[in-house]
Amino acid sequence: MKKILLVDDEQDIVETLKFVLEGDGYTCFCAYNGEDGLKLAKEVKPDLMILDVMMPKINGFKISRLLKYDAKYKNIPIIMLTARTQDTDKQIGEETGADVYITKPFDLDEVVATVKKLI
Amino acid sequence: MAKILLVSNNEQKIEHFDEILTKCSHDFQCATNEQTFLDILTANMPKIIILDATIPSFDFNQLYRKINELKENTIILSIIKDDKIPQELLNISDAFLPEPISDNILISTININLRRKDTISRLSASNQNLSKNLYQLDVLYNIGSQFAATLDKEKLINIMLEGLDKALDYSVACILTFKSNYEPFLIIDSINQISNRLMEALKLRTVLNYKSLFENKEIPFELNIEDLQTIKYAKNTIDDYDFSILRYDNMFAQINLGDNFFGFVEIYRDKEFTNEDTQCFHTITQQVSMPLKNASYIHEIQQKNKELYRLEHLKSEFVSIVSHELRTPITPLKTSLQILLSGRAGVLTENMEKFLTISKKNVEIFEKIITDLLDMSKIEAGKMDYKFTLTNLEKSIEFIKSQQNCVAEERGLTITTNFDDNYALIFADTSRIHQVLNNLISNAIKFTKIGGNINISTRIIDSKDIICNECFQDDIKKLEGKYVQVCVADNGIGIAEEDLPKIFDQFKQVENSLLREVGGTGLGLPIVKKILDAHNGTIWVDSVLNEGSKFYFVLPVASEKSNFWILHKQLIQQAKVNKSKFITISITSDEDCINNLLKEENLISGIYLNNYLLDNNKGKTTLTMVIPNEDKNIADILKRKIDSTMLSNKTRYGKYDIMYTYATYPKENN
Repeated sequence: MKKILLVDDEQDIVETLKFVLEGDGYTCFCAYNGEDGLKLAKEVKPDLMILDVMMPKINGFKISRLLKYDAKYKNIPIIMLTARTQDTDKQIGEETGADVYITKPFDLDEVVATVKKLI
Repeated sequence: MAKILLVSNNEQKIEHFDEILTKCSHDFQCATNEQTFLDILTANMPKIIILDATIPSFDFNQLYRKINELKENTIILSIIKDDKIPQELLNISDAFLPEPISDNILISTININLRRKDTISRLSASNQNLSKNLYQLDVLYNIGSQFAATLDKEKLINIMLEGLDKALDYSVACILTFKSNYEPFLIIDSINQISNRLMEALKLRTVLNYKSLFENKEIPFELNIEDLQTIKYAKNTIDDYDFSILRYDNMFAQINLGDNFFGFVEIYRDKEFTNEDTQCFHTITQQVSMPLKNASYIHEIQQKNKELYRLEHLKSEFVSIVSHELRTPITPLKTSLQILLSGRAGVLTENMEKFLTISKKNVEIFEKIITDLLDMSKIEAGKMDYKFTLTNLEKSIEFIKSQQNCVAEERGLTITTNFDDNYALIFADTSRIHQVLNNLISNAIKFTKIGGNINISTRIIDSKDIICNECFQDDIKKLEGKYVQVCVADNGIGIAEEDLPKIFDQFKQVENSLLREVGGTGLGLPIVKKILDAHNGTIWVDSVLNEGSKFYFVLPVASEKSNFWILHKQLIQQAKVNKSKFITISITSDEDCINNLLKEENLISGIYLNNYLLDNNKGKTTLTMVIPNEDKNIADILKRKIDSTMLSNKTRYGKYDIMYTYATYPKENN
């Protein structure tokens, strides 16, 4: 079973994504801040990560950068969730190695389709 | 009558002159030798000197010299014996009395000369007065134009002081004013230094003056001697004035701002003031009143503007924050509804599905409203950043059409396209152009009834050939050159003619029940218009009620020139937001010169050449550059460099024109 790590400080979003993805047969791990997310990523070595950008302590960009520079984790695909107002998000997201960038509020089907495409 | 001095040692002559002249009530004196003569001259200058040139024993040379020194206001008559007159005597004498002297000739000569002298002195006095008045007039004229040139209170007071000083040459001037927060200020301008004790006296006098000015009246501002601050200016820093200046002649005038008290001015002078001086003084003190009033208005307006700007900024900030906060809960709301509707969470009854669909639809409307609000607040704050690239408009239309097709089909509508055979690119931010198309097409879908058709067509058109409704003419007039025109036509409900002009205005959704039904902030079209504005395009609409609407928009066909002006607009916008300086330089000359300037002179290093345009028009080339002035003086330095190069190579560059447009957006205080 494929493992997906969900990291977002908005618990409700994590809940809904987890519900849908588990329904589609994935195993989900959840973290609600960047620190835990990074720790969990190294622990479980997921097949894919969905990261929120705006989080306290360590934000999504930083996690992405840290993982992509590490040979052990650099092949994990990353989907980055960002708020639309941050104009530079997309650019930074690409530079930090996120594979796909999805703006909030997102369409659930879009996320599921993207996950299926990546793993 | 007149003081007359006879220089002679001839007893007879002295006696004779004394008799005649005293009879005519003149004040007669005589000097019998050189020493007495000199003594009399130094003690009291006579009006007439009669020189007896027949006395051989006098040292005339010495006398002449002395007389020459004093001649100015004295009449010299010389008694001579014969026609042999020495040159010096000829030079200094006003008239000659040949011997023997008849009494009548003596008296008439004296009278004529006295009268002549009197006329001349009166003439010179009035001449002096005239030139003084002219000078004062000149000062008045000068400060009049200086007053008109400034709107700064302090400068105005300085100009007034300068004018008073020039015209009236005062010893000390004291000006009482109140700063905006009612702090009293005493400005003292003097020739010599004012000692501390004298300063205290002047302060006391000022307070007393102020109190007496408003005796039995309401005092405009509180004035206590302890609060009175002073500013001293003195031209001569060595000497001190003592209390004697309080005995000098002085003048006093109140300065008003319309009906309001502004302050007063008092000046002291060691010489007495004349009537003309008084007039001049009052003219100047009255003249300053008007510009001071204007200055205070301007100050007020500036304060208000600042406040307005701050509030406007706060509003945008508020809208931006609120809409961002409002967006956050939409994601879980939307996804939860999607989960329920997809049946993932369990089987739904028909009613459950119906109400969940209603919820989902409304969440989507809500999302759209917030997105519009965010976009609008970004546009208003000038923070909308466009990423311009060369774009194929037809491709965008096809893309949006494919997205909207299923919604249209649901409503029983068809979307057709109709493109110009010629192919043209535009310079645009593709995602924003998608937004424009999305807005227009979804509007068309909303307002068209079942079975209707929406047609999207493109056409390459010259700005001269654009036809549109009267109320949009102003926008069309600004266009120039080739454009791609897009028309989104529907056969829906249409728009009433009187509503057409306001359709692109913010928050002015047309009153219409159907419009109400479909919802919306009324921000869609205003946003579309702003996006097109940023692309140097525009939008307009043609519509017949109940028959349908045609929304047209145009975007310039990509070219070096049109792309430049789009970037130019964006750069200026960014400079405004960042409150940085920028400068637009355009140089018009023939082509070679401009190329020289660009390549050979190496004036403009690469990084500043990101945004420039070379435009050929009627044999003249214009180079236009925009230089954001982030590094403070780059634009200034470049301007100087270009100026000096152009000047030093005049022959090479021939005729040229340089135009600089500067804009500075000063940092706010808070």
